[in-house]
Amino acid sequence: MAAFRITRRLIRDVELKSTVLFRCARRTLCSESANSSPTDGRSPQFSDEEVQNILTKITGLDLQKAFRPVKQELKPPTYRLMTDAQLAQATQKAMQIAKERLKMPPVLPERKPIDDVLAEDKFLEGLETVKYVFTDITYNIPHRERFIVIREPGGTLRKATWEERDRMVQLYFPREGRRLTPPPVFKEENLMVVFLQDRHEDILDLCLVQFEPDSPDYRRVHNLTYEDIGKHGKYDLLRSTRHFGGMVWYLVNGKKIDGLLIDMIQRDLIQDTASVIHLYHMLHPRGSSAKEAGEQQAQGIDLVKIFARTESQKAGYVELALQAYQETSTERSAQSSSP
Amino acid sequence: MVHLSSLLLKHYHGGHVVIRLALGGCTNRPFYRIVAAYNKRARDSKHIEQLGSFDPLPNIYNEKLVSLNFERIKYWIACGAHPTKPVARLLGLSGFFPLHPMTVTKAERLRKTAGQKEALGAPGEVSEEASESKPETA
Repeated sequence: MAAFRITRRLIRDVELKSTVLFRCARRTLCSESANSSPTDGRSPQFSDEEVQNILTKITGLDLQKAFRPVKQELKPPTYRLMTDAQLAQATQKAMQIAKERLKMPPVLPERKPIDDVLAEDKFLEGLETVKYVFTDITYNIPHRERFIVIREPGGTLRKATWEERDRMVQLYFPREGRRLTPPPVFKEENLMVVFLQDRHEDILDLCLVQFEPDSPDYRRVHNLTYEDIGKHGKYDLLRSTRHFGGMVWYLVNGKKIDGLLIDMIQRDLIQDTASVIHLYHMLHPRGSSAKEAGEQQAQGIDLVKIFARTESQKAGYVELALQAYQETSTERSAQSSSP
Repeated sequence: MVHLSSLLLKHYHGGHVVIRLALGGCTNRPFYRIVAAYNKRARDSKHIEQLGSFDPLPNIYNEKLVSLNFERIKYWIACGAHPTKPVARLLGLSGFFPLHPMTVTKAERLRKTAGQKEALGAPGEVSEEASESKPETA
């Protein structure tokens, strides 16, 4: 029954998000992403294969949550009669599409401001009182390489800043869902209201559509969302979504993974805790916890214990949660073995 | 394909392709399209290709927006199209062409008139001050 519902949603769903994500991935992924490896000597980046594997494993694949009803145009559902084999195939296809939808948006460093002057013609001063913005609308060039220049009233010809570029590109090559001026939801006070309503996923989706991944606004909104989730422990809101990987990356970089570990232990996800700590050791290899784990070659739950002893801020809570988990697991094994 | 209009189109004797501004928009709200069209056609009627747009009224950020399809403009100029003066002025301001001589001339004329006004204003101010001081003393 559930499988029917899922496949029905698969057939009915508009592919808005996946096309938007495809376009986003095609236009904005850095060229360095494919070739870097952690053995280069510099710290591991978000786009490394190992890091991505760990993060996808932690994100999980909850089909029920991935194919939740999305607000869209009402269409009468289509029903199909399938054999068992065809149903299995359709479920496979649904899983593949869910994996694509769960593809993580890239985490890029913030873009540096452009201030490049092409010409200074002082004798043009006073001729105009307005700026002229010249955009090149040639079709086949990527938006990052487009020429957008501005002739100031003082006569200088300069390249446009990033905000002006975004505005012009959106004007002449409009993208669905993106607005010319960012909606007032993204102001600090309004974000607080959104967080109180537990709508972190929606605001992150909106942010992904509205801003470029390396713009300061994008980074600011994402950081605020992750901070709020970390403060209130609402990790499960993002669990089977695209943004989980980015959140874990931010928390591991900021060394704030204690709440996440406690939440995972309480939900009996010990493998995920081990992966998170493995990622932590990859990013901070000179910390005490990484050294001890390297000495003892620990696996699984021992990693968590070492981390709780050495570098954790909420050591007491983590150890308490571990104890509770171990008691429940021994009870369960005793129950299963006795009758 | 190169558009050799004088050879192929018998009813356009001596015509040529121009890149010019075609007016559109509503009352008190002009909007120009930069367009490649035959010389003899009406200003707003059928064109060969649209190459961009120009909005003469400034927006809320005090900008006049001009869009130019440089690749196609290069093609049409290579085919022998003549840009008109306003189009040449815009292309010069954008940096694609060198600055149009009339732009430079207008700027110089403006500065000359501004200088003359100041010069007229200065002796006018001196005489005003003198006349102001006389009634005060008197």
